[in-house]
Amino acid sequence: MRNTFRQVFHSPRFVTGFVIFIFLLVTLIVYPLVSPGDPLEMIGLGSFFKPGTYISVLDAAGTPAQTLKLPDAADKRLSSMLSESDRVSMLRWLTAVGVPESEIDLQDTSSLLKLWRENYDAKARPKGMTMSDRRFYQRLDEQLESAGSAEALTLMRQDEAGENQEVGRVSGTDYVNVKDVANVRTLPLGTDNFGRDTLKELVSAMGTSIRIGLIAGSIATCIGLLLGLLSGYLGGFVDDLIMFFMNIFTVIPSFVILILITYSIGQAYRGADTVAIVIGLTSWVWTGRSVRSQVISLRNRDHVNLSRLSGHSLMRIILTDILPYIASYVVMAFILQISSGILAEAQLSLLGLGPRTTEVPTLGLMMNWAMLYSAHINGAWWAYFPVILVITLITFSLNLMNTGLDQVFNPTLRD
Amino acid sequence: MKQWKLLSWALAFALALTPVLGAAAETVVELPRNETLYFAGQQWGSVKGWNPLSSDNNNAMALANSGGGSRIIMFETLYMYNMLDGSMTPLLADGDYVWNEDQTEMTVKLKAAAKWSDGTPVTAEDVAYSFDTYVKVGNGLGTGYAPYIDRIEVVDPSTFIIKAKLTEEGKATNPLMLLVFLGDAYIAQKAWIQKVEERTGGDPTAMKLDPGDDVVWSGPYTKYYTDDQRVILVRDDNYWGQDASMWGKLPVPKYLAHAMFADNNAGQVAFAAGQVDVCQQFISNVQDLWLKENLPISTYIPEAPYGICVNMPTAWYNLSKPGLDNVAVRKAIAMAVDYDMIIANAMTNQSPTFEQVPRSLMNPTPGEQAMYDHEAVKDLQWAGNDIEGAKKLLDDAGIVDTDGDGIREYNGQKLSFNACAPNGWTDWMAAMEIVAAAGANIGIEITTLYPEWSVYQTVVTAASQDQYDIFMMWTDSATPAQPWGRMRMLMSSEFNGVEGNWSGNWGHFKNDRLDELVKLIPTVQDRDELVKLYTEAVEIYLTEVPSFSLMYRPDKFHAVNESVWTNYPEEGDGRNIPPLDLTDGYSIAALYDLELVNP
Repeated sequence: MRNTFRQVFHSPRFVTGFVIFIFLLVTLIVYPLVSPGDPLEMIGLGSFFKPGTYISVLDAAGTPAQTLKLPDAADKRLSSMLSESDRVSMLRWLTAVGVPESEIDLQDTSSLLKLWRENYDAKARPKGMTMSDRRFYQRLDEQLESAGSAEALTLMRQDEAGENQEVGRVSGTDYVNVKDVANVRTLPLGTDNFGRDTLKELVSAMGTSIRIGLIAGSIATCIGLLLGLLSGYLGGFVDDLIMFFMNIFTVIPSFVILILITYSIGQAYRGADTVAIVIGLTSWVWTGRSVRSQVISLRNRDHVNLSRLSGHSLMRIILTDILPYIASYVVMAFILQISSGILAEAQLSLLGLGPRTTEVPTLGLMMNWAMLYSAHINGAWWAYFPVILVITLITFSLNLMNTGLDQVFNPTLRD
Repeated sequence: MKQWKLLSWALAFALALTPVLGAAAETVVELPRNETLYFAGQQWGSVKGWNPLSSDNNNAMALANSGGGSRIIMFETLYMYNMLDGSMTPLLADGDYVWNEDQTEMTVKLKAAAKWSDGTPVTAEDVAYSFDTYVKVGNGLGTGYAPYIDRIEVVDPSTFIIKAKLTEEGKATNPLMLLVFLGDAYIAQKAWIQKVEERTGGDPTAMKLDPGDDVVWSGPYTKYYTDDQRVILVRDDNYWGQDASMWGKLPVPKYLAHAMFADNNAGQVAFAAGQVDVCQQFISNVQDLWLKENLPISTYIPEAPYGICVNMPTAWYNLSKPGLDNVAVRKAIAMAVDYDMIIANAMTNQSPTFEQVPRSLMNPTPGEQAMYDHEAVKDLQWAGNDIEGAKKLLDDAGIVDTDGDGIREYNGQKLSFNACAPNGWTDWMAAMEIVAAAGANIGIEITTLYPEWSVYQTVVTAASQDQYDIFMMWTDSATPAQPWGRMRMLMSSEFNGVEGNWSGNWGHFKNDRLDELVKLIPTVQDRDELVKLYTEAVEIYLTEVPSFSLMYRPDKFHAVNESVWTNYPEEGDGRNIPPLDLTDGYSIAALYDLELVNP
């Protein structure tokens, strides 16, 4: 036994797959401890906030400031307010309202702003400008007004009488340390369409999907193993009967059966576990077929015949004389069943036939909602790409482990 | 061997040629981009017919009736409704309609210039015959207006009187519906209807099934080409409306085209690429199209809510479900729902919030908001996300968790409901998720359910509906009969027990006083009295909570891409053209003002 393990852990493929899988499992356990809370809690008012660190503006304004004199601060502020392309756009407006191009110096910010204030009129409709052009200039003007007009901002607080009381000033050289701000929240993968923390949801969904894979894989392997053993060992009528069913299931694509069953169950009864069971019940066929063929090749081996002559019971022969010889194969099949169960859930959910929502996140549901809210068109990659990556990693690691095991146990592949 | 080689070469050549041949076949209906206005989000699936007598043409570009202004590209109505100010601009009609003293009769004149596509004038006979035929064949217009309009009497070829159905006291059953009729009902040609009668033997069902390929129209566009990929209408350069008494000119685009997109995403991609000019689709985070992607795309209003919201998608309670028959449970759920979240996330801010427009029976337009006393119902309106208040309400009503599983019990039964919306209706589905989350916060189990629309509509409109507990449906948009129509839709018990009920009150609410108000309000003309009555109705609605609105929504989504065309209507441009995709009601006026970006 120990020798077997040693062999297995010497296979580089198995080890790579195993490490990835363990890494995912550890994340699954550790991340909720680091970042506790309900993964389905909707925190963002608005959809698809980009990944990053969010700092409370109120708390930052209330935090005592330090002065940092950074040489490029003013330039940075200016370029975030007025980019190169904005300057070119300003040129277009100014020439459209009749300012000679020779008078406009795009690099001289203060004179450009002065010209802009003199010539921009939100109500004007210069010839050749569309509604979207005019609205672009309105936004640009507002941006210049709010950011460019003040060297310092005054903080006011409204007292009970509704009067504004000055409570502080913020100048261009004031900085606060992020550690001092009371409310800072890092959203490493932003938010999804419901304003949920995508990473937290992803980790939780990974757990659900692995559970679905385990349940589906166990059921499929058990059924396949049992039927394969019986039909292979007993032969005759039992074999014919079981093969009859297996053939039916082989001819009809299992995914179609899966769709039909999940649809007819109805969404109200479709919890994550139900979906897992249905996946398991429809995907046992190939395990059954291959176990059967393995058993047939074992059936007439000497030790099995000997056992039979000694009058051992059917149960005992199967358990002690046949099962151990195909155990490694069954383990590999089980691993593949887990990964195909996870994929099947993702496929079903993408079609809107997965587990009913609101209860637990699953990888498939996350992709389904991202697609419904056009994340792929709107460039919100964080809502779907990490999900795809996780699905890939899970199935990749399981498949790697499988091929690793294959190399160890399959004599024809052994180096 | 050589033969094989030859054969494979021939095969490769044929394959290479296929796209070329395919493209050649397509060029037959290739339209000049500078003369074509492309739409998205109106037409799904192939066109079935062009018959104004039928309600089943699946021909959204040509035939789409709406109380808030019908689509008048090919067939025309008497007046054009404008939801911005409630005005009625004469189209086929000439001048204003005239009521008699007690609002039982309405006299309307027709424009002398109004002509059919075959050159004959539009007459009062056509109007009367159209209405009679609609009633006879029982299409949407016929069944919709028969309870309110008795008959249309021809005075002379250009004058007719619409006579209202009278109550026992001799009052019109509902004069408001006569107003709606003016902007809703298409007028069809009598001679053509008679042709259809002739070839079908006058059988109502056969008349409705007629595809109407030889139909006579009066509008500015007519059918040009249609297949399962697209529908194209072409301008009728003999259109009567170029007469000085109407528009004085022809609409600008020569072709109106609509491709049949597979789904919203496909339509949105084409819209962003500039292949579609006017898009009637819900686009989540529509502002990203111009803020982030710098596309020449705009909505009617530059800031949220981006459009004119006149409709109130509502979550209805199934009042026969144990638990939901208790008003405390209904109100608690409604109070706990986070509406700001629904508006920000499900609707991506394309709706005013309930803080901006507190809940009532009225939509956010100033006209409707003025119809009730805001102060009187202030204490009844809830803003949402009030978890503590909802919990207290349930605790006070004695509905508590007795067995410690976190879910409250009512009469010994766990409070567990489903919340339903049709599959694929993204904003409604997301809203239901947020309702379900609110339930979890106050100890009520709510699970979401998204049946396919075909199933959903059958269940919701059935007389006895016991499958869905909380479910989404719409309310009326802006029409001349509002807010009366919406009040009736939300609460009138006249729809209880009706099979195939598309009219409203899907939760089967009943309140005697409210039923009286539904009958009374249309006959009242005094404004102060009306406000008093409407305020009473709002009080009943907010006290009994038979349903609760989740958001405000435009009648039609309206976003335009200015890659080819410009001078679309926008807020504050002084033209008073409503953002209804340049096709519905007075919105069609925009078609006459369009300009090319690069002439």
